[in-house]
Amino acid sequence: MTRTTRPIAGLWARAWRGQPPDRWLLLVASLVAVVMAAPVVYVVWRSAFAGAERWARLLDDRIPGLLWSTLSLATVVTAVALAIGVAAAWLVARTDLPGRRMWRWLLALPLAVPPYVGAMTYVVVFGPRGWVREWLGASPVDVYTFGGVAFVLAAFTYPYVFLVAGAALSRSGRAHEEAARTLGLGPLAVLARVTLPLLRPAMGAGGLLVALYVLSDFGVVALLRYTTFTSAIYYQMGGFDTLSATVLSTVLIALTLIILAAEAAGRRRARYHTTSAPRPFEPVELGRWRSVALGFLGVVFGLSVLLPVSVLVYWSGVGLAEGVLDARFLGFALNTGMVAGAAALACMAAALPVVYLRSRHPSAASVALERLAYAGYALPGVIVALGLIFFGVRYLPWVYGGAGMLVIAYVVRFLPQAMQSAGASLAQVSPRVDEAARMAGLAPLAVIARVIAPLTAPGVLAGGALVFVSAIKELPATLLLRPSGFDTLAIRVWVEASESLYHLAAPAALVIVAFSVLPLKWMLDRYEEA
Amino acid sequence: MAVRPSERPSAPAIELAGVSKTYPGTSAPAVDDLTLAIEPGTITTLLGPSGCGKTTTLRLIAGFERPDAGSIELAGVTVAGPGAWVAPERRGIGMVFQEHALFPHLDVSRNVGFNLRGRERDRRVAEVLDVVGLSGFARRMPHELSGGQQQRVALARALAHEPVVVLFDEPFSSLDADLRVHMRAEMRRILTGTGTTAVFVSHDQSDALAISDRIVVMREGRIEQQGSPREIYQFPHTRFVADFVGRTNLLTGRIGADASSIDTDLGAIACRHTHDLPPGTPVVVSVRADSLELDAEGPVRGRIKETTYTGRSIDAVVEVELAEGRTADLMVHAHPEQVVECGDEVRFRVLPDFVAVIADGDASAAACRACPPAEPTR
Repeated sequence: MTRTTRPIAGLWARAWRGQPPDRWLLLVASLVAVVMAAPVVYVVWRSAFAGAERWARLLDDRIPGLLWSTLSLATVVTAVALAIGVAAAWLVARTDLPGRRMWRWLLALPLAVPPYVGAMTYVVVFGPRGWVREWLGASPVDVYTFGGVAFVLAAFTYPYVFLVAGAALSRSGRAHEEAARTLGLGPLAVLARVTLPLLRPAMGAGGLLVALYVLSDFGVVALLRYTTFTSAIYYQMGGFDTLSATVLSTVLIALTLIILAAEAAGRRRARYHTTSAPRPFEPVELGRWRSVALGFLGVVFGLSVLLPVSVLVYWSGVGLAEGVLDARFLGFALNTGMVAGAAALACMAAALPVVYLRSRHPSAASVALERLAYAGYALPGVIVALGLIFFGVRYLPWVYGGAGMLVIAYVVRFLPQAMQSAGASLAQVSPRVDEAARMAGLAPLAVIARVIAPLTAPGVLAGGALVFVSAIKELPATLLLRPSGFDTLAIRVWVEASESLYHLAAPAALVIVAFSVLPLKWMLDRYEEA
Repeated sequence: MAVRPSERPSAPAIELAGVSKTYPGTSAPAVDDLTLAIEPGTITTLLGPSGCGKTTTLRLIAGFERPDAGSIELAGVTVAGPGAWVAPERRGIGMVFQEHALFPHLDVSRNVGFNLRGRERDRRVAEVLDVVGLSGFARRMPHELSGGQQQRVALARALAHEPVVVLFDEPFSSLDADLRVHMRAEMRRILTGTGTTAVFVSHDQSDALAISDRIVVMREGRIEQQGSPREIYQFPHTRFVADFVGRTNLLTGRIGADASSIDTDLGAIACRHTHDLPPGTPVVVSVRADSLELDAEGPVRGRIKETTYTGRSIDAVVEVELAEGRTADLMVHAHPEQVVECGDEVRFRVLPDFVAVIADGDASAAACRACPPAEPTR
């Protein structure tokens, strides 16, 4: 730093609150953020070239109907997931329900079942040629309806609410509820007037996760032949009307941003502080309601875990007997492991620079870079894929059409999972450690490589594992971006399920479910601490 | 509500008889055969280190825990005991929690008026807010209040239901030092002004001494000693109380021939609190630092070893030479304007006011057994 550049250097330092980052670190972090945000920004940018006439036609014909079908589905699924999730969380956290620790596990398990796999099993059981019809002669429920779609989505997304609300309940302690008791309220009145109102932020956060999932879901709605923005975008692309697809995507992005903003505003209004230390307490006695509660949780578990897993095991058995586990199947698994593994490695490498910059060099710029990196996470996979197709054809023709495109898509979609995990690890390392390393003579980048990376390795690795599992499950971007003839397990599940070849779909689905169970324990622990 | 203030006017506000409680999964009882009576209109503090059972006692009174044995009466009504159980919300109890536990989603007036109904509600809310000096704050949200204001709201909320007794769970521990001293005086003023029966739980002796009419020192689930703050501080009956409530010097000696002094290595010390032990009995005495006064004419001679200036006083450790070349270190309080340096030779004398015979001193087991039981005095 020379003396002549001082005024600029001074401004630069002030923008970083006196902690300007190493320029290579800044460069790498910026690059990551740009790659993350580029596909989405590009979709919005391209929609500007769709022409006024196309916009007007879509706004008149398509969009009102799509808005209604998408928003009504999101509302109903969120409401059902909230009801199930909060009730289950309260029963597990606050009552004398038998086996509460076990239920905490069992009720989180549906997270390991990708919703499109769940939807497939519901078709097997309740579909037009399903088991129920076979047994009873007629099916009392039809999964190919709004109600069927909403039910399937709620059954596999309520654990988001269950986990967030459960963490809030076990963290908040009992003081408020005890205060209400001393003021003359009985147990049920306490639940209605104190516990539930205090859970509002957690319900908002959990409900947000569910609503965002519904907006982004492609597999369930497509399998059950319900049309939302995501499936409409997918079919527009299939019809090579990509400009219309960008218009629909832009509307869906706006919708997502509105929901995110509404939830954030709601949370700012209701910032609750509870600091009292939890202590042993007398759980609410369920008494004769105990069997009702157990029945309720049993039904939830049965419909969201037992039913799908039984179907998968049954059809896998049929498939195995017919010799499905051949060299082809191994090839699908190998493809899956390769792209998911590459994505996990890339995410582990890319996460640390961004979170390090955000944590150690706080500034408007580092916050903006981090936000950009989240762009692909909150948004549906079909939009990420659409953006990457545009971007790839134009700027990365040597990558486009190869498996590398899938890796990029997974990184764009799932890097934030690795960032959250690495960030949590980094938060445990005091900045004084960095300073001590600098005092010992290490350059800034050497500090990251030799001190921070080893210290945050557990978090980074856990993040990589999460990305790996998410990539295995990913469906819409994989469908749109895979090289021709390149099949993964998720693709096989999708293709065979569409053809009703369940003995071919089930083994692949079972492998996906088995892998998805692995990171659950880690996720549960994280919700516990959060 | 099951329990009203006027249920049986002559009865103690709270009466615990042989109450025991052991938490599941633990072997030692948290509260062990506790018997205690608290008179209406008094302020009582349950004082002791963490794990002594004071908080459990409070939660047993509130009804958040069920006793394994014994019974609890509030204003003459049995609320817990063999075959009797009154739920917490029907006990007519107010409680002020450690972190206040104000409902964060309700404003001050809704917090205070929580579960009050009818036309009375607004009047009552205004009344108690006036009592705690927060009349202008009805529309504020809890997070907009300072720590002291939050505490007043918590008290107002507890008082609003005209409870038989108000329980306080370490209410001052979340406040900083200055506010703490102020709120102690304020709480005492409000509680005595309204004639409220109050039970505090505290591990802080200065809180307990400042606010209480009566202190119950607890240890391992049992009552170690109870009495007025002055009795507890001046005349601790056990080594534990002497150590826990202020710091003290422990000396061995024998009851003097006149039965109102103790012969110790420092010479004869006047003592007004001898448990009427016969002359010659070997005893341990507690001599508070406050009762050792620097005095150029004093009979005891020593050398300053260490000093700590606290502003209010100088805490000095004085090395005193005893018979046969032995030495003892004594804690002495000096007035802050006095100038004392390490190594100074000083003389001091022992004032009789803060000297007490310790009942469980290990001077002689036989002598201790002869001690009269620690009778509750008022």
